[in-house]
Amino acid sequence: MKNLRLPSWTLGLVGILLLILAPILYFLPRTQTKNDPAAYLPEKPIHVDHADIVQGEFITGQDVTRACLECHENAATELMATTHWTWESKEFDVPWRDEPATIGKANQINNFCIGSQGNENKCMACHAGYGWEEGREVQQANPENVDCLACHADLGVYGKGEFGNPAAGIDLLAAARSVRAPTRDNCGACHFDGGGGNGVKHGDLDESLYFPSNNLDVHMGGELNLLCTDCHWTKDHQILGRLLPDNYTIDPQEQVSCEQCHIDQQHEDERINTHLASVACQTCHIPALALEDPTKVYWDWSQAGQDGREDDHFIYLKIKGEFIYEKNFAPAYLWFNGNNEYRYLLGDPLGKDGITYINKPAGGIDDPSAKVFPFKLHIAKQPYDVVNNYLLQPITAGEGGYWSEFDWDAAFELAEPVVGLDYSGEYGFTTTYMYYPSTHMVQPAENALQCESCHGENGRMDWVTLGYPGDPIEWGGR
Amino acid sequence: MKRYTLITLAGLIVLALALGINAALAAPTTVPTSQASVLHPDFLLLDADGVSVLESGGTVSAMQTCGQCHDTGFIQSHAFHSDLGLSDYSPSSANFDTSNGLFGEWNPLTYRFLSTGNDERLDLSTAEWLMLNGSRVVGGGPAEISRDGQPLIDLKTNKDDPETAILEENGNVTAWNWDESGTIEMNCFLCHLETPNNDARVAAIQSGEFGNATTATLLGLNIVSQTAEDWSYNPEIFNENGEIKNESLGIQDPTNENCAACHGEVHAATEIPLTINACDLDYFQTATTGQVIASQKISESGMNLSNKADLTRSWDIHAQRQLKCTDCHFAPNNPAHVLETQEDNPDHLVYDPRKLEIGEYLERPDHNFARGVSAQFNIAPELKSTMRRCESCHDTNKSHAGWLPYNDRHMQVIACETCHIPEMYAPAFSTMDWTVLRLDGSARSECRGIEGSNTTTDLVTGFQPVLMQREDIIDGKILFAPYNLITSFYWVYEDANGNLRPVRKMDLETVYFDRSNYSADVLSAFDADSDGKLSDEELVLDTEGKQNLIADKLEALGLKNVRIEGQVQPYSINHNVVDSTDATSDCATCHNTDSRVTAPILLADSAPTGVVPEFSQGVNVTPTGSIINNNGSLYYNPVNENDKTYIFGHNRVAWIDWFGALLFVGTVFGVGGHATFRFLAARKLRRPNVATKTVYMYEAYERFWHWLQTAAIVILLLTGLVIHRPDLFGAFSFRNIVTIHNVLAVLLALNALISILWHFISGEIQQYIPHPYGFIDQMIAQAKYYIMGIFKHEPHPFHKSKQRKFNPLQMVTYIGLLGILLPLQGMTGMLMWLVQKVPAIQTWFGGLPFLAPMHTLMAWLFASFIVGHVYLTTTGATPLEAMRGMVTGYEEVEVPVSE
Repeated sequence: MKNLRLPSWTLGLVGILLLILAPILYFLPRTQTKNDPAAYLPEKPIHVDHADIVQGEFITGQDVTRACLECHENAATELMATTHWTWESKEFDVPWRDEPATIGKANQINNFCIGSQGNENKCMACHAGYGWEEGREVQQANPENVDCLACHADLGVYGKGEFGNPAAGIDLLAAARSVRAPTRDNCGACHFDGGGGNGVKHGDLDESLYFPSNNLDVHMGGELNLLCTDCHWTKDHQILGRLLPDNYTIDPQEQVSCEQCHIDQQHEDERINTHLASVACQTCHIPALALEDPTKVYWDWSQAGQDGREDDHFIYLKIKGEFIYEKNFAPAYLWFNGNNEYRYLLGDPLGKDGITYINKPAGGIDDPSAKVFPFKLHIAKQPYDVVNNYLLQPITAGEGGYWSEFDWDAAFELAEPVVGLDYSGEYGFTTTYMYYPSTHMVQPAENALQCESCHGENGRMDWVTLGYPGDPIEWGGR
Repeated sequence: MKRYTLITLAGLIVLALALGINAALAAPTTVPTSQASVLHPDFLLLDADGVSVLESGGTVSAMQTCGQCHDTGFIQSHAFHSDLGLSDYSPSSANFDTSNGLFGEWNPLTYRFLSTGNDERLDLSTAEWLMLNGSRVVGGGPAEISRDGQPLIDLKTNKDDPETAILEENGNVTAWNWDESGTIEMNCFLCHLETPNNDARVAAIQSGEFGNATTATLLGLNIVSQTAEDWSYNPEIFNENGEIKNESLGIQDPTNENCAACHGEVHAATEIPLTINACDLDYFQTATTGQVIASQKISESGMNLSNKADLTRSWDIHAQRQLKCTDCHFAPNNPAHVLETQEDNPDHLVYDPRKLEIGEYLERPDHNFARGVSAQFNIAPELKSTMRRCESCHDTNKSHAGWLPYNDRHMQVIACETCHIPEMYAPAFSTMDWTVLRLDGSARSECRGIEGSNTTTDLVTGFQPVLMQREDIIDGKILFAPYNLITSFYWVYEDANGNLRPVRKMDLETVYFDRSNYSADVLSAFDADSDGKLSDEELVLDTEGKQNLIADKLEALGLKNVRIEGQVQPYSINHNVVDSTDATSDCATCHNTDSRVTAPILLADSAPTGVVPEFSQGVNVTPTGSIINNNGSLYYNPVNENDKTYIFGHNRVAWIDWFGALLFVGTVFGVGGHATFRFLAARKLRRPNVATKTVYMYEAYERFWHWLQTAAIVILLLTGLVIHRPDLFGAFSFRNIVTIHNVLAVLLALNALISILWHFISGEIQQYIPHPYGFIDQMIAQAKYYIMGIFKHEPHPFHKSKQRKFNPLQMVTYIGLLGILLPLQGMTGMLMWLVQKVPAIQTWFGGLPFLAPMHTLMAWLFASFIVGHVYLTTTGATPLEAMRGMVTGYEEVEVPVSE
């Protein structure tokens, strides 16, 4: 022990070093170390190549699922607990109903193709399950109906057809051998083409995101080349993120947020940072929607069924009516606290002022948790029951539906037993609004909105409508 | 209550949604909201006689119309924009400037001279001056009143009086009839309408229809149209009382576009890419300085700018942040903007609430707007520096805290603009050469910041302003500030009345042109490539032969004493500010051999031979640099040493560095030679065995003190070297090195102070006090030992013991080092640091330019000492013994023979 004792002068040496280093470190100009957002990306295990593992022969989709479940025993039950399977939210207590309500594509309507009930033959091409020809109850009960391939197969060798089943002619063995972690293709197949075609629904999600440039989406196109699952963190098949129109309120825990990766990442400019209390990240960093591919902003069902009018995907289709598509346009700005103030439920009366809201984002200038947020507003003229004063859901793609017969009355009568709403025999068309929050196609900082984008003479904000006395640059913020 | 809130909320949301539909359905272009003041009432449009123009069908008089509520007489008499120097008019025979404003101040860029009554040859008469400057004249002042205070229309028409004459194109002078042309009254509409028709107004002035200027401003606004005879007013925009509806006129506070009408490029539309004409004097401010007021990102402009994609900042951060011209250049009695200075109040009074009420202000708003101290504008000098300045809004101590060392010192010598306007991206004039004429009658000119002349097809490179010493007339501070320098050359002559005047453009044309081409003798002298045309390259008076040709031809016209003069005009650059992200923040930009502060600027690519231009007099800019001629091109080279500044890392005193380096190298060679001899001697002569004993030589504190001092001095020398020569040590962060240097300096000083205390308390101070008797002899003995004895292994002449550690030579060296050099070095260093807190130090013994080189000199002495000191420690019992003693405290010393 004694031999190990350092000579006493080393103590002096250490003392001198400390005396020099401590004040230097204290006084050195500090450059703020910033959290690197990329450090918060989920780590993904390398996916095992299943090409040599999966053995056939597969006749039906269910055959494939059975094979999957041999090893991935919990996969089906996990998935069946998600909305990708149920197409229905949890139960919400809503103030305008006595009974709790659920919301989802399975049981409610929107102002695009309106509703899936009775139209399962087409709509379920985007459902992560097979066997919808058996009806909802039977289909939902059977774990073997889970379509693993929709999200895990290479879409070069797999595709879906009627009633959620594999399309005709698919080599299921090849598809099953191609499985891997979901890519942009798997998510995009449904989410980029929602509403019946590329970019129709969201305005911030379309096929341009398969191979985006940095200036289209800084996350997916930038050097990080992110996949959907880099932000939509997934555990046990529960995928983070909820769509506002398919919910009433959304627990922040369930939602994707910029802060998952951009932790305490403030701007260098104090003035910009003061905006963070009332302006969402998306507001400045998503200055325009549908940057490359146009999105549908208006859909007039009342014009459907005209003979002799030329069909054009972007202007008119006999089965659907008239449309307006827009590209590279400024979003609508509303106060938004993450929830809906209202979500139309089947049977709800129409709005009193001639506009019926499919969903209405919640928040206001007096709501401290609300921020000004960009939305894509989709306006439609869609059918309603003139006597009963509620929106109607027609059978369109289903057998005998409007898309083959062009007979609205028949389409509503067919829907009566399926949807469960009486049809009085008199229909009309009414204006409905539906708001999609814009959160993809995030722009790099240099493309973000600048002061004059909102403030001053040419600004895009309608301050008075937002509840300010005037431009807050002069009148002060909230 | 709750229900009401809900209803209100719902209503608001419905409104929001209703507007939302527009956003979704309409194209994203937003309609500019009208800024017309909602408070402004409908009012009668009156003619000069105070009769409604609806009845008279005459021209509109703004003075009468606005005068119904506002005191237009007061406004006009408090508006230098209207006066334009008229009230300062005083002609002189030796000076071209007859006033301090546009009316009388001669500018070589626009060249034409406003003739005085005493001039032999008429150049600009008042009428032609108005036509020429119409786009920059708001009316009133010289547009209405003669030089001695008479209304122009009352003047007796006389073609010999420049106020009632005009120079015809053929050179004849004819009379000007003011009754016919009318005069230009002050035009309120030009600045207070959203979209005044300035083109029509300027067109009216240029065609000499001065009286129509105000009404022309309203043309095309659905208010009035011009008939063959008179004016026809649109009755629909008048209310039942015959008053014009305010909303159809849109009276408003002046916007940036209103100011732009006369001053320069302002671009409010964010959707339309900005394009500008390079060096177009119609955009005077932009052409002379490159300043552009626009919130648009530079990268989104329509200009062909090099590295444009990287310039994702806006042209001007204040425009981006929605400031308006009038926010800083405000009406001084505007109660919303008034600047209160404590000096105006009794000491105890923090705020004086006795202010103008808004109504009183609106009746008599002072139009002598707050202004800065730009070198190019001299009108209303009493108002210089009355505007809101950088420091009126920004606290530099807070904004620079934490990253800019010596913030106060930087603020003492550098204007904010210097770092916050690092680069201009629009071209600006560099040269205007009126000694020659292009075929279109314009001067040969050069434009900096562009390779060519078209900003959309030629490459725009932008330019770096030159830094000049700007003196603030209020606080007297002299700061480095950015300028564009425009160099002009022009012929002058003496007229028959003894007046020195610029040669008239008309006379130049006579000399250069023969009908529509150059005259034959000019062509043969200038046309180097014999293509019958004169390019700008050929169009230079670069030989005496050419100069004589032109001078002779001018003198043949009767001009006496013809010669060329040159003038360099500094043009202040205060706009196009960038925020901290894009401001100059790299220390090496200035603290380097190639310092930004002394970066030269091109004055003229080619210039008339033998002419050295002189800097404009009477401006607050001191040219302390020198004008350099490099193969016919003239440059201005700033020399910061002349400004009593010392820029660390840039300025060096050559002899000190030579002397210091020689001393250092000499010491290294000296001890190296000595060591070699010792080594050789030791090989020849074996070292005798000398008895030694171990002595506890150095107390722990002594050793601690010594080594801390050693480390501090070595680090100070190294960091000092980096600060002195950052060009050689670019890998280090200048900022951090400066901090380390300062921290170590404090540490060294504290260590020294504590050790002095210790030396006194312990009595060890006696080690440094020589016994005077025989001390010189002892020093000689020690020196002899080092020169001779050491090679013969003679014993040390003085025995080293705990009581007497130093030999006599050591003692004097240490007294010098620790008693003189170290305190001096500390003092100079501390004073250099203190300059930021006590600016007066700059005036003591020459300030930094003296202190810094002294500090450097002493640093060299320290460095040399260390070499010698370390070497001499090897002269102990064994070469490493003394060093070991200073580490462990115990040293083997030779036992003196006597023991």
